[in-house]
This record gives sequence, C-alpha cells and structure tokens, in this order.
Amino acid sequence: MSEDDVRASGCDPFTDDLAELALGVLTGRERAQALSHVESCPRCAEELEQLSRVADTVVQAAPDVDPPMGFEVRLFERMGVADVRPHRQRLRPSVWVPAVAAVAAAALALGLGLSLSSSPAPTVAAQHAKGTVSASLLENGETVGHVVAFGGAHPWISMMLADSTAKGTVQCIVVTDDGTTHHVGTFVARQGYGAWIAPLHVKPGDVRTAEVVSPSGTVIATATLG
Amino acid sequence: MVRQSRVAEGEPSDEGLLAGMAVGEQSAAVIFTRRYQRRIFGLAYSMTGDAGVAEDVAQEAMIRVWRHAPVFDPRRGSVASWVLTITRNLTIDALRLRRAVPTDPDDFAASVMRSNEHNPEDSVHRGDVRQTVRTALEVLSDEQRRAVVLAAVYGRTALEISEAEGIPLGTAKTRIRTALIRLRAAVEHAEGANGE
Repeated sequence: MSEDDVRASGCDPFTDDLAELALGVLTGRERAQALSHVESCPRCAEELEQLSRVADTVVQAAPDVDPPMGFEVRLFERMGVADVRPHRQRLRPSVWVPAVAAVAAAALALGLGLSLSSSPAPTVAAQHAKGTVSASLLENGETVGHVVAFGGAHPWISMMLADSTAKGTVQCIVVTDDGTTHHVGTFVARQGYGAWIAPLHVKPGDVRTAEVVSPSGTVIATATLG
Repeated sequence: MVRQSRVAEGEPSDEGLLAGMAVGEQSAAVIFTRRYQRRIFGLAYSMTGDAGVAEDVAQEAMIRVWRHAPVFDPRRGSVASWVLTITRNLTIDALRLRRAVPTDPDDFAASVMRSNEHNPEDSVHRGDVRQTVRTALEVLSDEQRRAVVLAAVYGRTALEISEAEGIPLGTAKTRIRTALIRLRAAVEHAEGANGE
C-alpha cells in the first residue's frame, strides 16, 4: 500500500500504529482503536500482516553464539533427557488420545530415546540424518502438515497436521516402492490439527507416500517421500 | 497456510522435530536443541551481555519449547520465529526481574551487522532472511535502526523510546515505521530474487 493509498483511504491516523502493532508494542486505547480499524480495512489488514512478518525477522537476525561449556548437559538434565528409561512417561500433550500416547510410549520402548547420562550422545543427529526423509502433507494442493520418517536401527515416523479438513479418528498408512500398503497407526485430528508419532516397520527410504485416510477409506492428505 | 522450515536435505524439519517433541520423543529434543541452542543463546547474550543470564534464559526457553511443543501452531508463523520470540520475552523478563541493564541497542545492532560480514553480497541468493535483514539494518539511518531494535528486540513502546531518546512521540513512531517499511522492502526484494 503506497502513501497515497493510505491517505486516500482515510487510514492516515493509523499508519504509524500498524508498525507498532506488528511489533507488539502498541498498548491501551491506541491498540484497541488500531485493531478495530484493521478489522474493517482489508488494506490495513494486509499491511499489518506484511509488517508482522518483517517484525519477526529482526529478532531472528541476532548472531549465533556458542553457549558455555556444559550447556547441553545441564539442559538435558533439566529436561529429563539424561535419564531415559523406556517405561518413563514424558509430558503428554492434551490433544493426544490415550492410544496415541501408547504409541509414543511404544516408540520410546523401542529404544528411540537417548541416553545422555554422562555426556551428550554424538550419534543421534547423524543417525537420524542418515536415512531420514521428510515431505509436506498436501491436501488439494495445499500444504497442511509435514511427515518425517526417521531412519536408524528403529525407524519411526512423525506426522503433523494443521489446517486440514481431517476430523476425528483417521488412519496413517504408508505405501512403499513395491506398491504395498502398510497401516502405521490411528490418531485423532481435532479441528484439522494434530501431531502423532509411531514406529515404522519399513525403511524410510522405501516409503513412497504417507497418507492420512478417513475411516471410510478416503485419502485426505498425501506426502510424497520417495 | 503452513510454513515449513528450510533444512538440509535429509534432515528432519523443525516442524517434524516439534511433532516428535510433542509426544516426548527425546531424540527429537536433542536434535532440536543442537539446531537452535546457538541462536537462542546468541539472542539472549546479545540482549544482556551477560553469559550467566543468557544461559539461564536459553535453558528456560528450551524447556518451554519442549513443554509447549504440542501447542505450536504453524499457521501463526515459523518455528524459528516462535522459539526466538519466547527467548526474547524471557530475556526481557529476566532483565526486568534482575533490574539489569540491557545492552545498548546500538551494540546489539552492531553485533548483528558484524555477524553478516561473511559474504553479505550473497545473502539474497542464499535466500537467508537473517542475512537479508542484517544487510538491511546496515542501510537504515542510525536513528531508525536504534528505534526498530528498541521496539522489535527490547519490546519498548514508541512512548518509551521517545522518552529515552528525548524526541517527540511522533518522531519515535515515524522512525519505527520507516525502519520497518525499509526492512520489509529488503525482504520482499530478496524473496522476489529467490522466486518466492
């Protein structure tokens, strides 16, 4: 939106406010008035969205700095990562159904966790980088989530859905290069949103597609990994 | 629209790692930590100039990401934006609680621009928005750069900036807006050059 557009549309009193709104530093009555205007002005709404994207990038431009020695060890101790026991349950998100939590626990029981009791394990990143494949989940051509299939001794797959039409109980299947369909698990999508993880009984490199399927068998979203 | 992080081929995406963390997958947390710890600590350290405070903040930020991974909403922005906003807010809180003096915004900006000294001309072609913003900060006037850093990084309102800088409120507002618009132009130019 040009300066002329702004003035012509009567948005002038709010031009400076949009930048502050995008930066999250507008407060009180000014904020309320600006928000009220944005709700009724598509051009200012668009301007606000664009400025908000840029506002985020200023913080992201901060330089990388190596943290002090021992940072990881202290952090993983606090997170409980240093004390991995297969039976030990970690935090469970409220959106998970019990079956999903059980799947996650099964994944941990398979030894997918990492012991860091004495030092950070150097092998994990490399293990997962090797043989790991990922792809966007597409629904009607739109990206609605992501699938990552992790390699290693005990492959596993994670799936995240957002903005999907998937609702209620859905299945995840993978199709391997030989055309075989493998049922991986069942999970619950709430208002098109959900995340899920499960053991994968095929090699990630052999997976051609991962699909979210409705109970009636309709393919809702597909990720092409191979 | 779901935004997906850019990662090297074969590496799990940020979103995939968060999905793993959401169900307590510890190896996902390890990979995520190693991917982000330098950025998180770097932001906190650049804002505080104190390695001890920065470590406390960085650790707390990672703990919060770990705990709140299930509620991350990709529709509202990227993982990097989410993680670093958490870090920024925690740093502001820590500075306030400890009544510590934050780094001068000019020093923060200088550290940001110094980090872009390696091949700044290539930033557009690499599609790295961080480097694009670093380069764009360099071409802002000193006053505009200071105003946008005070607002975007330290969370200062225009009124607080006008009082701290001894300038009229309207001037503070204009500096913030002009700086943000110039940054936007730089980012849009970079995205256009990358065909996004």
